[in-house]
Amino acid sequence: MSRHRQLRLVNLEMFTRQFSLSALIFLAVYLVQEAVVNQFRFPGGGFHLFLILALVWAIRSSPEIGAVIGFAAGFLMDISQSTDGPMGHWTLIMVLMGYGLAFLSFENESVRSSPVTVVFFVVAGVFLAKVFYLLTGALLGLDFGEIGQIFLTILGTSLWTLAISPFLLPIFTRLHAFVFDTRIHI
Amino acid sequence: MRYGGDNRGRLLLIILIVTSLFLITLDLRGVAVLDGIRHGGQSALAPFQRAGSVLSTPVKNFFTDVTNLGQTRNQIADLRNENSALKELLINRKSADAQLDQLKSILDLAGKAGYKIMSAKVISQGSSQSFSQTVTIDVGSSSGIKKNMTLISGAGIAGVVKEVYADSALVMLASDPAFRIGVRIAGSQQIGILSGQGARHATLQLLDNQTTIKVGDILLARGSAGNKPFVPGVPVGSVISVDNSAGAIAQSAAVKFYANLSALGVVAVVVGAPATDPRDALIPPKPIPTPIPTVTIYVTPSPTPTS
Repeated sequence: MSRHRQLRLVNLEMFTRQFSLSALIFLAVYLVQEAVVNQFRFPGGGFHLFLILALVWAIRSSPEIGAVIGFAAGFLMDISQSTDGPMGHWTLIMVLMGYGLAFLSFENESVRSSPVTVVFFVVAGVFLAKVFYLLTGALLGLDFGEIGQIFLTILGTSLWTLAISPFLLPIFTRLHAFVFDTRIHI
Repeated sequence: MRYGGDNRGRLLLIILIVTSLFLITLDLRGVAVLDGIRHGGQSALAPFQRAGSVLSTPVKNFFTDVTNLGQTRNQIADLRNENSALKELLINRKSADAQLDQLKSILDLAGKAGYKIMSAKVISQGSSQSFSQTVTIDVGSSSGIKKNMTLISGAGIAGVVKEVYADSALVMLASDPAFRIGVRIAGSQQIGILSGQGARHATLQLLDNQTTIKVGDILLARGSAGNKPFVPGVPVGSVISVDNSAGAIAQSAAVKFYANLSALGVVAVVVGAPATDPRDALIPPKPIPTPIPTVTIYVTPSPTPTS
């Protein structure tokens, strides 16, 4: 077997492993979000575990992978029974958020190595995702209620994300490192 | 160095955006495949939500106890005197009693009006990812639940069934911003449209500019054609403030729902409407004020001052 072909096989094996582990982690966190976190009605809208995971994962990836992660995460969020928008609404927003966050942080060690900056990016990501959801939802004719209530929900969700992200970040970062930093040696 | 991207990356991004837009278009056009994906997803999630509901109940009870600490202090003091086994029994009993009370009040309400109901438990409270106010209940199409059926709690209207799955159903709460219901004021029979506002209060818009409304007025559901989505006569809420703006075409008012929509446990879906409109039969009784005992003290001055 030529060395070139051997390398391709190893790459394929690595990709399969990374993809399946990522999918497992995403599905597990999605289930926790839908089955456990959604049981509680937190004041101010609460936090979205799955959204935070997707954004952390995107920040630690290349823009292309960030967009794909955003697509997959958005699709799962669209399937959720509590989503009021049409199918594809969250997918579109998460593709843009995944690509945008990955674009801003890719090959930028000052962003990735600083937990404070990552938390800031995650909070900004959640805030912008909500705002984009609202704006595109308004264009699609969705009804979101009183402006004051919307403002409180967006502010509340951002504050919850700010409060909870520092605790989740080490876990999600370690999971990411476990999936992507392991090398298969020939 | 800032990442500049390459043509392959840009092409991928464009493909993903176009796919998302394609999905949105298909869904807005009502393509059945996408509904099937959502229904399949929900059917797969329902058992996990049920398990999550069971697992999170002690935590929810704990937080409820903490928030109501002032009210339950005496009860906690009594419980301290009992042994651990009895404590556990009591907590379980408390939870069951609360559900029983809710169920009793629902049966009272449904019995008075002649509604045929299917009782259900709330198994999920919706999510923070959207601005909608929804809950998931543990009965679905296998129990005869259909889309657009009215959901009631013991106090009055709670929402309307939005989506039905095999063993669960998604309910839009009355507080949802997209919720609209035709109501009439008990007694005067004036009619209006009540809209959810994403909060505990809703807004009532009267349809006739010649009629007036006042604080304390009771609102009942007018009922829909074919009793879907709303059966007639269900108590909705009471007026807490009236907007008398000079420029408004008709009066509007803020309304407080009778049902506590943030603490729904046991609810019921109205599966059969009564043969006749119950009219004002379901108006909730006015709370009886607790009499405050008064003590009168007579003081008679002594005839000779004491030194």
